[in-house]
Amino acid sequence: MTAFGSERLLEVAEAALGTGGADDVEALVYRQAGGLTRFAASRIHQSAWREDLWVRVRVVVDGNRVGTATVHAADPAAVRATAGRAAEVARTMPPDPGYPGMPGPATAYPEAGRHDEATAGADPATRAGLVAGVLRRLPAGVAAAGACETRELEIALANTRGVRAAGATTGAGFSILVDAGSGTGWAEGTEPALADLDVATLGERAARKAMDSREPRELAPGTYPVVLEPNAASVMVQWLGWLGFGAKAYDEGRSFLVGRLGQRVCSPLVTIVDDATAADTIGVGFDFEGVPKRRVTLIDEGVAASLVYDFRAATGHGVEPTGHGLPAPSAEGALPMHLSLLPGQTPQADLVAGLERGLLVTRFHYTNLVNLMDTTITGMTRDGTFWVEDGRVVGAVRNLRFTQSILEALSSVRAVGAETEMATEDGYGAARAPALAIDRFAFSSATTF
Amino acid sequence: MEPEELTELALEAAVAAGAGYADVRWVREETEGLTVVDGRVDNLEAEESSGLGVRVLVDGCWGFAASAVLDPARARALAGRAVEVARASAATGGEPVRLAPAEPAVASWSTPVGRDPFAVPLAERVDLLLAACDAQRSVAGVAHAKGTVDLWRRRTVLWSTEGTRVDQTVTQTGAGIEATATGGGDLQQRSWPNSFRGQFQAGGWEVVEAADLVGNAPRVAAEAVQLLAAPVLPERVTTVILDGQQLSLQVHESVGHPLELDRILGMEAAYAGTSFVGPGDLGRLRYGSPAMSVTADATTPGGLGTFAFDDEGVPAQRSPLVAEGVVAGFLTSRETTTDGAGSGGAMRADGWGAMPLIRMTNVHLEPGQGTLDELVADTADGVLLSVNRSWSIDDRRVNFQFGVEAAWEIRGGRLGRLYRNATYDGRTTELWGSLDAVCGPGEWVVWGVPNCGKGQPYQNARVGHGAAPARFRDVHVGGVGR
Repeated sequence: MTAFGSERLLEVAEAALGTGGADDVEALVYRQAGGLTRFAASRIHQSAWREDLWVRVRVVVDGNRVGTATVHAADPAAVRATAGRAAEVARTMPPDPGYPGMPGPATAYPEAGRHDEATAGADPATRAGLVAGVLRRLPAGVAAAGACETRELEIALANTRGVRAAGATTGAGFSILVDAGSGTGWAEGTEPALADLDVATLGERAARKAMDSREPRELAPGTYPVVLEPNAASVMVQWLGWLGFGAKAYDEGRSFLVGRLGQRVCSPLVTIVDDATAADTIGVGFDFEGVPKRRVTLIDEGVAASLVYDFRAATGHGVEPTGHGLPAPSAEGALPMHLSLLPGQTPQADLVAGLERGLLVTRFHYTNLVNLMDTTITGMTRDGTFWVEDGRVVGAVRNLRFTQSILEALSSVRAVGAETEMATEDGYGAARAPALAIDRFAFSSATTF
Repeated sequence: MEPEELTELALEAAVAAGAGYADVRWVREETEGLTVVDGRVDNLEAEESSGLGVRVLVDGCWGFAASAVLDPARARALAGRAVEVARASAATGGEPVRLAPAEPAVASWSTPVGRDPFAVPLAERVDLLLAACDAQRSVAGVAHAKGTVDLWRRRTVLWSTEGTRVDQTVTQTGAGIEATATGGGDLQQRSWPNSFRGQFQAGGWEVVEAADLVGNAPRVAAEAVQLLAAPVLPERVTTVILDGQQLSLQVHESVGHPLELDRILGMEAAYAGTSFVGPGDLGRLRYGSPAMSVTADATTPGGLGTFAFDDEGVPAQRSPLVAEGVVAGFLTSRETTTDGAGSGGAMRADGWGAMPLIRMTNVHLEPGQGTLDELVADTADGVLLSVNRSWSIDDRRVNFQFGVEAAWEIRGGRLGRLYRNATYDGRTTELWGSLDAVCGPGEWVVWGVPNCGKGQPYQNARVGHGAAPARFRDVHVGGVGR
């Protein structure tokens, strides 16, 4: 049982649908509540709880004049006033000749997401207890920082074409950075349910990495074989998601896939899907236009296979929308938000064992796009960068900057790990990925620690 | 219910529940973002958000709770939840938080606004951007023309158990254009007055008018087309002049963030990172050349980091961060001050739903003398790098790499050919140590950075940076792509 519940959220949405003089009305209700217990220098220092609920109303008048307005409030009077404001905006907007209408009701929405009551109701003492337990088990002389988060998400959408969709999900995350003086180590876990997070193991992993990272030696920048742990691999998958799987980006020529659909763009070992219905992801069964979410294979054994479509792009292309719409009208168009690089056959430990000479990378920091069309990104390694010889980690190296085309890196994938993790980079987005063994990865400069 | 009533209810409830200190912020935020692409309105987002954030200290531990869903009973319950959070925070022990003394603030203040941007009719805003798009598309070879206007207004009612009663309204406005050229498997963009939706300042519609979007559109569009045919910048070590737009982000990433005292003390270690600067470096560390003086100034007219009081009720201040190349101060809060000093007034929260953190206010590179033309004329060999397109720096703010939209060769004191996909990289103190000239006040502009990220849960902050074009010696530059 959720805090608000589907029926109540749909009632909030329906308050907007009676807007006078409108051809179409849509109301999207989004509620998120949760707590985050943050620690640094091995003590809790910024613990917080927050609840937000917003209603975004889209109103269409005169056939194709579209206005939107959003309010952070749940009472019907505020929602109706916001709908009125959206109608006012619509009346002053120029006509949108490409307005595709709104989606109608779906016959069914897929099962998606997992709502765990214990996670939704986790209190600050529960999170603090988990943090304290991990800190107690750390080796003497180290300091730790990180966060434990629990959250509940509820979404409902209703429109005047008959769509009524509602869903709920939960999520939990734990991250820990251990500072052992001249070396740091890090680990992170994200799961739909707090009980599935093995925080003790994450703490041990971060501590072990920190101890192993001490006294790093300098390594000259250059192109090396690497094993990227799931977090670092996930960052590349997330960037691809931003850089051009959406039909609008493709149509406007700002997608790396322009001219490449149907062609081989990665190693045959690489398959990337977007699947909100997977049991191990966090999501609901419909998009922000009320369209059912579908599993889409974006890169199929190395071949660029497909795009994702919102209702507008799908109507323009004469195809079915894939359920990847953002709140419309969207400057971005459709985006894949439940990406997964599918696991391979090689146990993660064996990826390092198969590396003759190269680098093991725990995590990337502050990656950013350098060149869209060839998917070049730059960023730093962080909190555990190791030199490997003859399949064994022989010591830590100072952090390095990489400047690397994602597609080129994924084209030289030699082996794919058998285990996946859902990972984030500094909280932006999330994607599930295994560790990857890559033959060529370009490091452009080094830092001082 | 009036915000002051909700605020007082929550404050009383927090004290009754056991808070030794509490502050309550009621915040109402209005935003409007308009995007016009290729002659049609692509998107208009209008949003209104109000809510209450309650911050408490219980036995030296912080607790915070916030909600947009409000009535008197919920306001009281929120205070109770903040106290519950603070009590749980004691689980890991540690030194209790102590706040530096601060005089209670009792005041009302608003950003001076010429023409209220929210009162500018939507049709007028749309017509301006349509005209700017048309002016871009008049240039042959432009694939896409974009124009944006963004308006933000935030009213904060801050009450504390120490007697602070602040009512403050900040209005900020921004606009920009972006021309895109595509072909041959490449995509190039040129922006005005800055990338990532333009220039942002505190103030009203006059900020948009000053940008002269329509007048600059043909030049910007022509440069995007020229970039498509330009060669990639060759790799070398050379003299670099950064324009004010790019320099503002260089200051942001490699000076502002490393001098935030919470980062220096490790409070952001797991997420945003720490700093190569230590607490003991104050007055000792040579950060850059004597040409480098950096000031934090929350009083600068027009800055995105300009206000009368921070979110702890501390008055806006101007203070040195780097004086002639030596570290002279940090960005601080009441919890994190240097010995004997009060707060520097740099605590800011991303609306009602977030705990205040140390954030940059306006962090300026102080101007030197002369014009950009004179600086170029004084440069025998190098490149002029213009307008940011990517940025990245390590977690201690040492190793950076930036990409820019355009690079012009400088040879014999004159601008030469145009290059695309340019990047430059280096290490913070080495770059600032190589600074040998900053242009004068006539070239100095307070640039807005509207998307500074920090904290968990993630918070966005809008900050300002005064900068004039500046010259650096022996910088590694290069280019990416074919």
